[in-house]
Amino acid sequence: MNTHPLVEARNLTLRYRRGKRAALDDVSFTVPKGRVIGLLGHNGAGKTSLMKALVGLKSVEGELSVLGRKPMRERSQLLAELSYIPDVAVLPRWAKVRDLIQLMSGLQPRFSPERARQLLRRTSVGLDDKVKHLSKGMVVQAHLALVAAIDARLMILDEPTLGLDVLSRKSFYEMLIDEWCDGERSVLISTHQVEEIEALLTDVLMLDEGKLVLNLSLEAIEDRFVALSHHPDAAAAVAAAHPLLRYRVQGGQPAALFDGEPPQQLAANAQRFRPSLVDLFVALTRKPELAPRSQA
Amino acid sequence: MHSAWNDTAPIYRQLAQQLAGQLLDGEPPEGAPMPSVRQLAQQYLINPLTVSRALQSLVDEGFLEPRRGLGMFVTDGARQRLLETERTTFLRDEWPVLRDRLRRLGLGAADLNWENTQ
Repeated sequence: MNTHPLVEARNLTLRYRRGKRAALDDVSFTVPKGRVIGLLGHNGAGKTSLMKALVGLKSVEGELSVLGRKPMRERSQLLAELSYIPDVAVLPRWAKVRDLIQLMSGLQPRFSPERARQLLRRTSVGLDDKVKHLSKGMVVQAHLALVAAIDARLMILDEPTLGLDVLSRKSFYEMLIDEWCDGERSVLISTHQVEEIEALLTDVLMLDEGKLVLNLSLEAIEDRFVALSHHPDAAAAVAAAHPLLRYRVQGGQPAALFDGEPPQQLAANAQRFRPSLVDLFVALTRKPELAPRSQA
Repeated sequence: MHSAWNDTAPIYRQLAQQLAGQLLDGEPPEGAPMPSVRQLAQQYLINPLTVSRALQSLVDEGFLEPRRGLGMFVTDGARQRLLETERTTFLRDEWPVLRDRLRRLGLGAADLNWENTQ
């Protein structure tokens, strides 16, 4: 197997209208093999646009190579080689799950019907169930089983856990680990369930208003960002050190998040802890309601 | 779902600590194989790379050893060494906190029930 990254994106920019804010603004990143990458961002941050660009459903400026192909020019070949679940994924309501397996066999050269049936056995979805009689969680599970049965090196999932209850989300995460974490395949997954998915990820891409504000492995995040909980009396000194974010941890203790090492004097009188991905997300992305409105 | 993890340390450290705690209870016993990376990843719902990191840190501390093609095994004497490490950590980190609390409450050795009875 070659060692080229599965995705190479350089300076991707997408503008829906001239003069308007870009949906994607100079975004560059690579996806090596064997990674589980979380794509995080508020609604409207550009997650879906980026995923559509990767599979050739949206034309962008910049250089983009996915599985060694140019997505816009080789869309149909590309869609046959990767697994993609869009955010508005719908399975035909009239169909039985058995019909969908047959349909996929005809459409997808790399699809394995046996594998799909095997994966479905782990869910509560039956082969003779009609899509319209399945719950939302079961539809997603069926969809995921169908997509996971494609022998692809890259899986792109746009908010697969949206609207799922906690048990369905858990079985989704189990399937992700069982089927996709083999050191070769990579998964790009967008989600708002940041806390739940944190332990499953190897890397994080964070989008804010079309800009990539973080592109790091979780290991590097632990090395780079420092969280300190401190005595309320130290508040002024903490503020003077310009942390990324000031907040409170469990128990109401004030805390601060720093990009890099905080001043030594400060660190000596405070307790270091692991900055969670959620706190980092809040620190690095603007809340939409706080963004200044443009005078159109 | 993620309730097993807290903010005190990186997730791989927390997993290493949990696994060390189990080794101390003889689970698995010395000389026996550890569950595979895949099994642990499924059990704890964390990325296999994080599991590998946790196992590697236990190798670095001498509690596990990799055997070619067979996976990780608990080293001879791992339990005794873990016990010593845990004792040192307790006396260094936890005991001063506990002692201060006992002092504040005015409790001495005679006030504490040292037998495991209700």
